[in-house]
Amino acid sequence: VSCTFSREMLALHVEGDLPEAAAEVASRHLTTCEHCRRFLEQLRSRQSLLKSLRRETVSRSECTGMRRKVMSIINDRTGTPGWVLRIERVILLGCRRHSYALPAFALLAIVSVSVLAQMRPLAPDINPAVPVFDGRDTLLRPEGYRDWIVVGRSAWPHGSRPDASAESATGRPAHRVYINPSGYRAFTKTGRFPEGTLMVWESAGGEHETADRSPKESPTLLASVKDSARFDGGWGFFDFAALDGTVASKAQALPESSGCRTCHRQDAATDHVFTQFYPVLRSARHGAQLAAPRGRSNLAEHLAMSSRARLPGWPVVTHT
Amino acid sequence: MEFRPDGSLLVQTALSMSRLSHEEPSREAAEITRLVRLTLGGDSTAFEQIILRYETRVMTMAARFLGARDDARDVAQEVFLRAFRYLHRLDLQKPVEPWLMGITVNVCRDAARKRQRRRNTFVEIEGPEAIDESADAYAGMAQKQERLILQRALDSLPEKERLAIVLRDVEGLSTAEVASILRSSETTVRSQVSRGRLRLKAAIERLMGGKP
Repeated sequence: VSCTFSREMLALHVEGDLPEAAAEVASRHLTTCEHCRRFLEQLRSRQSLLKSLRRETVSRSECTGMRRKVMSIINDRTGTPGWVLRIERVILLGCRRHSYALPAFALLAIVSVSVLAQMRPLAPDINPAVPVFDGRDTLLRPEGYRDWIVVGRSAWPHGSRPDASAESATGRPAHRVYINPSGYRAFTKTGRFPEGTLMVWESAGGEHETADRSPKESPTLLASVKDSARFDGGWGFFDFAALDGTVASKAQALPESSGCRTCHRQDAATDHVFTQFYPVLRSARHGAQLAAPRGRSNLAEHLAMSSRARLPGWPVVTHT
Repeated sequence: MEFRPDGSLLVQTALSMSRLSHEEPSREAAEITRLVRLTLGGDSTAFEQIILRYETRVMTMAARFLGARDDARDVAQEVFLRAFRYLHRLDLQKPVEPWLMGITVNVCRDAARKRQRRRNTFVEIEGPEAIDESADAYAGMAQKQERLILQRALDSLPEKERLAIVLRDVEGLSTAEVASILRSSETTVRSQVSRGRLRLKAAIERLMGGKP
């Protein structure tokens, strides 16, 4: 009858690999079990055979041949490890040895600067195309707006026709309306003007064109800003015309009762903007959700309304 | 001197020596550190000195794993090339030899898998070169036959058990050292060693025609 004592335990006990307590159990069992003692002897015999392999070693000549081959390969390759390995080597060794510390830190610095250069935001624009306020409702004169998107031309106020003479003299449209790029991009995607949208209306006699303007013509620079946190209705309107006939560097928001605000609130097709008169905005939203002009269907009606809505001393802006 | 439970003399292996040198830094350890640093500094002749110190150990171990000298030579070559390539990863606070043994195990595994794909029967085992020359011809043949059976029995073991058996029983490393080289736990190594010894015993008896 064969014993059921664990053969695995005996296989460990034969080389003293059992923990002390288990070895004690095995030893006690072996004193009483002839079958297990025989099995253990057989295991010892096989283990002795296995250990005989320790006497065998490879010859020196084989080792020499192998070593020469290795050195030949190494000497051929010296100086040409891959870049990944070179970097890893410099960093690892730099952490361990002072002599490598400087190159390691230099490498880390270069890598860090490169990564940061990729991650840093774009350098701030000298003339950021965003509204800049001085206080709660005073807008600084926008700069660089002529690089923005021209959405259309506007007729000069007071019911006069667009100034063809001024346009022919300068070779440029008499008046232009600009929108900042971020506002334009968002509008073309969503059909809505985002917060921070800035629009500028400039006459031919604007801030940079005083040499070309007619003596009777005042330089005019108007702006509208979408900023729901600052202005009721979401939009603020500004006139940069100074009393001395120049263009001011900043302007306070026009009051709620101004004709400008009233007109834009009541008659503009899209969120206080007369998109119905700006082909660029219309085409940008072609096929999208651009709303049709509300109420008045043509420019003549709008011009008439604008004239009615104007305030004394304030040029009524009409749009063509 | 130290004896095992079976009464045999415990052979102090080079790895055990390395362990001792780790505990008490010796001149040899300092010399190895110096050679490693010279190698990292671009002196390839220093690396040749490192090879000289460990080539026999690595090649012998590979031969025991694979049972074929040609494969062992190729393995040893790859081991030292990898060691040269990744020498900067070596922690000089620790002995070099376990690190080299770990590389050897990995390269042997790769070589065994490649060999397994190209062979269907057992490999013809080359005879040991260090057989006792004073033995008579009959004893020599018997020893050769025994050696052949043992190698075939080892080859029949699953790879993990074979690695554990060779490292623990042939190389004479402790269970902890084997676990470290195989990146395993001591419990797992004990289990592999136990199963491996039983399988090896059964395989040898089968190859010897049922003789216990």
